[in-house]
Amino acid sequence: MRALARIQVDFLGALFDEGAAPGARFEVYRRTALENLHGALAAAYPVILRLVGEAFFREAAGRYARERGSRSGDLNEYGDAFPDFLADYPHAASAAYLPDVARLEWALHESRRAADLPPLDLGALARVAPELQGAIRFGLHPAVRLIASPHPILVIWEANQPQRDGTLEEGGGAVGVLVRRIDAVAAPVAIDAADWTFLAALGRGATLEEACTELGAAASAFLGPALQRYARESVLGDFEVPSSA
Amino acid sequence: MVGIGLRAAHYGEILARRPVAGFLEVHSENFFAAGGPDLAWLERFGALYPLSLHGVGLSLGSADPLDERHLARLEALVARFAPLLVSEHLSWSSFGGRHANDLLPLPYTEEALVHVCARIGEVQDRLRRPILVENVSSYLEFAESTLPEWEFVAEVARRAGCALVLDVNNIHVNAMNHGFDARAYLEAIPRDAVGEIHLAGHESSEGILIDTHGAPVCDAVWSLYGAALERFGPQPTLVEWDSRIPPLDVLLGEAAKARRAAARAGEACAA
Repeated sequence: MRALARIQVDFLGALFDEGAAPGARFEVYRRTALENLHGALAAAYPVILRLVGEAFFREAAGRYARERGSRSGDLNEYGDAFPDFLADYPHAASAAYLPDVARLEWALHESRRAADLPPLDLGALARVAPELQGAIRFGLHPAVRLIASPHPILVIWEANQPQRDGTLEEGGGAVGVLVRRIDAVAAPVAIDAADWTFLAALGRGATLEEACTELGAAASAFLGPALQRYARESVLGDFEVPSSA
Repeated sequence: MVGIGLRAAHYGEILARRPVAGFLEVHSENFFAAGGPDLAWLERFGALYPLSLHGVGLSLGSADPLDERHLARLEALVARFAPLLVSEHLSWSSFGGRHANDLLPLPYTEEALVHVCARIGEVQDRLRRPILVENVSSYLEFAESTLPEWEFVAEVARRAGCALVLDVNNIHVNAMNHGFDARAYLEAIPRDAVGEIHLAGHESSEGILIDTHGAPVCDAVWSLYGAALERFGPQPTLVEWDSRIPPLDVLLGEAAKARRAAARAGEACAA
């Protein structure tokens, strides 16, 4: 007689083992589990689904489910490793942009679910004593993600939104994509080298002075308007000033 | 009191129309996010209707330890929304960190019974409130089972100190799949053990009834609901519809039908 733990280990093993054939009734569980996981993946990666088509996506989703599996009782967390999976997936090798488009979709998915935070208090920022300003450390808003790619991933993503026909439009000069949540909607935007350098530095924990040093001569013209925009678009969350002591 | 499942497809329409509903039910896990629009929606609905948090991913019945992270997020959600009802399933869905994200059946053994009752206690202690646990539909039976399902479910109610969500669709599905008498199942459940009843639709595939929550409640299940009302008295009742979600009016029509059934049972009781 198998104990409860043994039964459960055997059951889960057979559920995701393509080879095992334990009968029509067990097959219902296998179908349901794969269908649930497929549905969660399709909901998180609608652009990938549209780019590769239903049949390809179903095959990839099935393989992902068997190889990586779900690690959470919350299906909204399922699919975090799908971009890496696509990068190693032989059938996707001819579409080198797919993993980065998938990274953008996962960033949007995470952004939607990230913590809320009041907008950056520009008034409080202005009241920081001048001699302490350089030591300010900004935190990126929890809903912010930065994605760099050698591929025009935002152009591809935009062309494959429901109201678009998939035709790529010209997009020039972007270094990366910034995802932030504006009015409760997670939205991507292309950013240039100055934004990327500055935000990436803040993301690494740099002080305002260190981040400006990375920007070089461009810093003084960049900073004021950029902080206004970051406050308006909830790119920055809050900031810390070291005590003057 | 009849509640309906609150699904994203109906958010806007429910806010605009404010239909009659005793409560709105959501899957707890869909609101495990740290923040963002889904929680903001739930705040708006929670201000208008009592809420029912119905969990599908805690894996009450698995033999490994409870998932601390999952439990902590459920605890925070319960604290934030103070729902009318909190429920989970008499099933398991994960082991050793690997999840099937499906409601898998337990073997009906003394070992599983002792285990699942202890786990229900653990969750109730943690949430500092009683939870309800629901009988699930199943497509196979374990050779290891030593109790019929209804005895297992009745024993859980007796030993764990929690009320049952009696899903009469699941009882019907299992009665057909495993060949038992659904009425006898109801008779085996203590009269005071039920705190909520669920209604849903199922579909048939290759001779097996599958609990898809994607169809209207069938006549046999309505009839079983009548019998359950007679035995357990009026109970908060939920109409579930989770796949191929219909127009809101179809769902509200099912809820109205459930209210009429409850009213008839009440009259029969008084007579």
